[in-house]
Amino acid sequence: MSTAKTRISVASAVEALARRRNEQVVVSTMTAMSPWLKRAQTDRDLICVGFMGGASTLGLGVQLARPDVPVWILDGDGSLAMQLGSLLTIANASPRRFLHVVFHNGVYDTSGAQPVLAEGSMSFAEMAKGAGYADTVRFDDIESFEVALDDLLETDGPVLVELITEPTGDSFKDVKPGTSLDQAEDGRPIASPLADVWPKVQDSLATG
Amino acid sequence: MTIAEAIPAATLLQGLKDVNVSDVVAVPDTHQRSLINLLNQQEHIRFIQAATEDEAVAVAAGLIIGGRKPVVQIQHAGLYACVNHLRGIASDGHFPMVFLIGLLGRDPHREPSDHAGSMVMLAEPLLDTMQVPRYLMDAPSDVGMIAEAFSMAEECQGPAALLIGVTTS
Repeated sequence: MSTAKTRISVASAVEALARRRNEQVVVSTMTAMSPWLKRAQTDRDLICVGFMGGASTLGLGVQLARPDVPVWILDGDGSLAMQLGSLLTIANASPRRFLHVVFHNGVYDTSGAQPVLAEGSMSFAEMAKGAGYADTVRFDDIESFEVALDDLLETDGPVLVELITEPTGDSFKDVKPGTSLDQAEDGRPIASPLADVWPKVQDSLATG
Repeated sequence: MTIAEAIPAATLLQGLKDVNVSDVVAVPDTHQRSLINLLNQQEHIRFIQAATEDEAVAVAAGLIIGGRKPVVQIQHAGLYACVNHLRGIASDGHFPMVFLIGLLGRDPHREPSDHAGSMVMLAEPLLDTMQVPRYLMDAPSDVGMIAEAFSMAEECQGPAALLIGVTTS
């Protein structure tokens, strides 16, 4: 676990971001995704399930296509750890209106709270700084995050914000063994969440 | 008997321009290095380099969402590396995404399926397993396959693969 003495609740971090949400395309995954969608979902939300580590580079593609539209990434620590090279890809592309928020709770929350590797000694903010992000910062209390957030949103990117957060305890523990992920209970095929939402985002960007 | 010959980079570049490709999202590939060099010497098509093939797939998907028309340029080893993103983003996400995949080490006297080495031999069956339509480009006259692949990707709302059979000249 992180050696941080204080931690931010996911709900409070989501709330701080949601209050400032307007035209941005937001790409969410893992721990932050569900509370974010419940609080702030619009037709500019992209959802990443089933391809861990892809949220930030999916958002990079949107930003490279539409540099006029800010892009926020709500990433997980285990997720980013699976694609650390993405820090280099993003830094190299230098997207200017790109906010990469990493919810660092120190565990693989959805699979039973196994620890993230090198927890306690590693820092995503330091890794992003070394990769060449324009600005990186780490917070372990919501007050400091709230104070800095407006300025961070005006800072030329790419910007990475590492939030030391509390594990939520959410997991797939309630999924019974043998449950099919292929069909819903009524027998209909389960569509990809991303397939459901990205045409709406595309339409919004084309018309907005 | 030779059954495959090199496609000049300029021919491939023109083929990409003819279908209005806007971006090439690439991980460096020895097999297609002449095309990469050419892409970096022009400004009509944007060249975006990724650290991994997973990332290239994700970036391409984001570009499509933003209204662009990218192609993903990788090597066969990169195809093997990005299977889950190919499945989870391109296929399940229903992205009309075209791949240029270099068959580094392919003997131009043999079909890819006749190779003993897994690197060349497994690319086509893997794409078949992933239900990705594929086109083997074995001569300059095959450049029209680029347009076919894009049409197929649009029709299927999913990925399509162009296999570059011989190192580009």
